[in-house]
Amino acid sequence: MVDFSTILAGFGDAFSLFNLAFVLFGVILGQFVGAVPGIGPIMAMAIAIPFTFGLDPLPAIAFLVGVNKGGLVGGAVPAVLMNTPGTPDAAATAMDGYPLAKQGKPLKATKMALFSSVTGDTFSDIVLITVSAPLAILALKMGPIEVAALMIFAFSILAGLIGNSIAKGVISAAFGLLAASIGQDPENFTPRLIFGYWDLFDGLALPSVAIGMLAISEILHRLSEAHGNMRPAINAKDTGNPDDRRVTWAEYWSCRYTMLRGASIGTVLGALPGIGSTAAAFMSYAMTKAGSKDPGSFGKGNIQGIAASESANSAVVGANLIPLLTLGIPGSVGAALIISAFMIHGMQPGPLLFENQGRLVYGLFGAMIMANFVNLWVGQLGLRLWVRVVSAPESIIFSSALLLCFVGVSMATSGLFGVTIMLIFAVIGYLMASFGYSLVIFIIAFFLGPRFEKSIAQSLALTNGDLTQVLKSPVALALLVLSVVSVVWFLRKNTEGEDE
Amino acid sequence: MSTLSDRISGLFFMAMGLAMYFWVNPNYIETVEGGNLSPSTLPNIISIILASAGAFVAIKPTTHRLRNPVLMAKTGLYVALLTGGIWAMSWFGFEYVAPVLALAIMWLIGERRPLWLGLGVVAMPALIWFLVTQLLGRALP
Repeated sequence: MVDFSTILAGFGDAFSLFNLAFVLFGVILGQFVGAVPGIGPIMAMAIAIPFTFGLDPLPAIAFLVGVNKGGLVGGAVPAVLMNTPGTPDAAATAMDGYPLAKQGKPLKATKMALFSSVTGDTFSDIVLITVSAPLAILALKMGPIEVAALMIFAFSILAGLIGNSIAKGVISAAFGLLAASIGQDPENFTPRLIFGYWDLFDGLALPSVAIGMLAISEILHRLSEAHGNMRPAINAKDTGNPDDRRVTWAEYWSCRYTMLRGASIGTVLGALPGIGSTAAAFMSYAMTKAGSKDPGSFGKGNIQGIAASESANSAVVGANLIPLLTLGIPGSVGAALIISAFMIHGMQPGPLLFENQGRLVYGLFGAMIMANFVNLWVGQLGLRLWVRVVSAPESIIFSSALLLCFVGVSMATSGLFGVTIMLIFAVIGYLMASFGYSLVIFIIAFFLGPRFEKSIAQSLALTNGDLTQVLKSPVALALLVLSVVSVVWFLRKNTEGEDE
Repeated sequence: MSTLSDRISGLFFMAMGLAMYFWVNPNYIETVEGGNLSPSTLPNIISIILASAGAFVAIKPTTHRLRNPVLMAKTGLYVALLTGGIWAMSWFGFEYVAPVLALAIMWLIGERRPLWLGLGVVAMPALIWFLVTQLLGRALP
């Protein structure tokens, strides 16, 4: 499907000084904002996407990859220094990172987080590069019936895995689908639920909805909690011993099995749509602790705990792109944002991506590899600097983030109408989060909605409305059975959780 | 209190699903002759699912705790401010409204230090202006 020359050309495109500069800028920005509690890489990506408009696709995607990867490293800084994770998946890192920092070894803790994060990330990138093209070939053999069944399967997994109740998960998904049905009907091209606003004819813009729900709603929440007591500067006291400021090779090597386990867990969970990096980090941490000869040392500053968490949560990022690139299904909010960036730059994720834009895809892979090295380098130099970032006051961070979102969405949607939609969805997102409804499910359902409806319409056209034709497709049948099994399993799991 | 929040949200989604099914979808979705999938099919199915799941949440609520209502009211204040900001931008443009909006937000948070206020009100909007109009060559809202 993709010949060797395309692969080489793609990597050749990526490894240029021009793209390196964008990766570098993205990593610096990602580490910077990742270090700010409450911002994180998702919000940074959401804000950054519209600013990549004027760029060619490869540097734009390389920049965003840098932001995403850098954000994961930056997220560990406040987790270690303040016990306040910059990102939810860094929460497990705080369990041993913070005690280590309190022992006077903040740099050792943040460096261990950096090294294990880059190790896990590189592992999952290699898996992504190796398996995605063969998976895409398999996916290409799927017809509309199989695609529709796959969509149903993706929904069944999403609804079950995120959120504290199946019913609330279903509501989030249904609400997302309802929002996605605004605009043109994909089969008949007639206006639907636009209420006289012809700006809505092309549907709600993904940047408006995603940035409103993920970035602005979170900023609104954080603004309401601010009471004029600006965050104090963090003073992580150092012992003065040079050995406490670095991670020796022996220490790194002693964590090799922990990191390998973490990276494997993160890669497997990341490849499944809907399982976040937070789950991977905690699962890896728990398994490392359970398998340790000294479990009592965990939670008291054990570097194995940091290695377990960071290698797992970073490995999820690369693996998340497996369903996205091969099937066009975003497995996480980060992947949903990357998809919107792809679409802005004319890329249509899915199995045809490898055939139509193989060179660009391998350029993306090259940029990812490059970003790992840059992440390591910038992290080594920048960790001391990011410590100061943690102490920047919320007042300037949130007011600036709001202005950037306004400008970014205005550029992405060509005007203030998109900004208004963003604010409306910010309020919806704030209320949904307040009442315990999953925004992740909403966003992913919103993205999948039109594709789902289109595949159903195509399936009906292909079978003349005879749904029994599904029984003749073993793949579709297997996917539908898997959907039922996963829903039943999640229902049981949820019931058990409630009983406990 | 914790079950009340789920009952309220469940009833809201139930009412929304019913309103969509019986009133909004019939009135705001065009009917089309022929075709395999009517434009209203998916919205109608979703509306039914929404109403059913909403009823389920209302009948069997979880123990989710609602955010502090005082903080939610405070959020309403910020939403009103941002709405005003968007409205003002449509009349006066980003260049004039952004510094005022930034100042209002920072002031409401409780920032009073001149250096940080200067950075947020002057430096940041100026940086955005430079980035968007000069470097990217795009128009500000």
